[in-house]
Amino acid sequence: MTPTEPLVRASAGQAAVRPPLPVKLVIAGGFGVGKTTAVGSISEIEPLTTEAAITEVAAGVDDLSHTPTKTTTTVAMDFGCITIDPTLKLYLFGTPGQERFGFMWDDIVEGAVGGLVIVDTRRLDDCYAAVDYFEHKQIPFAVAVNAFDGQTAHTLDEVRWALDVSEGVPLLVFDARERGSVRDALLVVLEQALARSGG
Amino acid sequence: MADGRTPRGDGEGGVAPVGPAPAVRPFLVTAGRVAGAAGEASAGRTMPVETQLVATTNGLDALHRLSFEQHDIVAACRVPQSIAEIAARLRLHLNVVRVLAEDLRTAGQLSVHVPDSGVTHDASVLRRVIDGLRAIPDSRRVLRDTD
Repeated sequence: MTPTEPLVRASAGQAAVRPPLPVKLVIAGGFGVGKTTAVGSISEIEPLTTEAAITEVAAGVDDLSHTPTKTTTTVAMDFGCITIDPTLKLYLFGTPGQERFGFMWDDIVEGAVGGLVIVDTRRLDDCYAAVDYFEHKQIPFAVAVNAFDGQTAHTLDEVRWALDVSEGVPLLVFDARERGSVRDALLVVLEQALARSGG
Repeated sequence: MADGRTPRGDGEGGVAPVGPAPAVRPFLVTAGRVAGAAGEASAGRTMPVETQLVATTNGLDALHRLSFEQHDIVAACRVPQSIAEIAARLRLHLNVVRVLAEDLRTAGQLSVHVPDSGVTHDASVLRRVIDGLRAIPDSRRVLRDTD
């Protein structure tokens, strides 16, 4: 199996350039938790935003709600990328965290090698949906507490207890603004994915 | 349907769209088709957002004959781009890009590379990603100048 059709002939109907293999990580969490910041800290491009239509009825009212009763709306998805080498590229997709965006998640998450759930300890509730989602989909993931101004409102043990995540799920503190810190958080997720792959 | 306003969504205020949202109803350009039926790659798999699109020689030769969106997609894909990148850069909905990409693929003007999740989840690939990430320095200022 090859991920892309090999360029054996340069016939007119074929790609002029062979694209890299895209590997996808998903960054999830509640609204305003630092997903875009994290992507921007490490992406080689300025994070891009694209919009996708969702047609679900909103289940509840979120903090910055516009029109909760609308049946069709759009959600923004932020993403960035890191070129590993000319044949391999890591994509980071930040997904809307609210439960009512479940439909959108499948669209983004399909094929992802792992997920990073970003948590603001002041608003733990916001990340339950993401944790449940990754557990349900059996996608390797880690939970990263974003330390706003170096502070967290709860200890990691308290967070683990509150989120009810198993011991097998790595839990860490990071700073979404720091490139090295984001890199290390992503590495934890990739190590999880590697362990899952049997490697 | 989308009303043309720029939704704040989950943008967290950090990423402003590059320009005003297109006023044209997005699925007008696909003649009302939505991804799912048409937005599937050759193998019957749907196109994940990271699916790579690359212009073919045919597509580049036919550029002047292509309509706005098709033209823009093929032109942008001189360099491989993901579906998500095309959607963001051309300000098109993801599913619109999926439909148009499938049309262009059928016409031989675009090459659509759906990643095989068996390959992307392979341990050797994951190790390469891990090694590549580890090489990234802490500081934003020390950009990789070897790239």
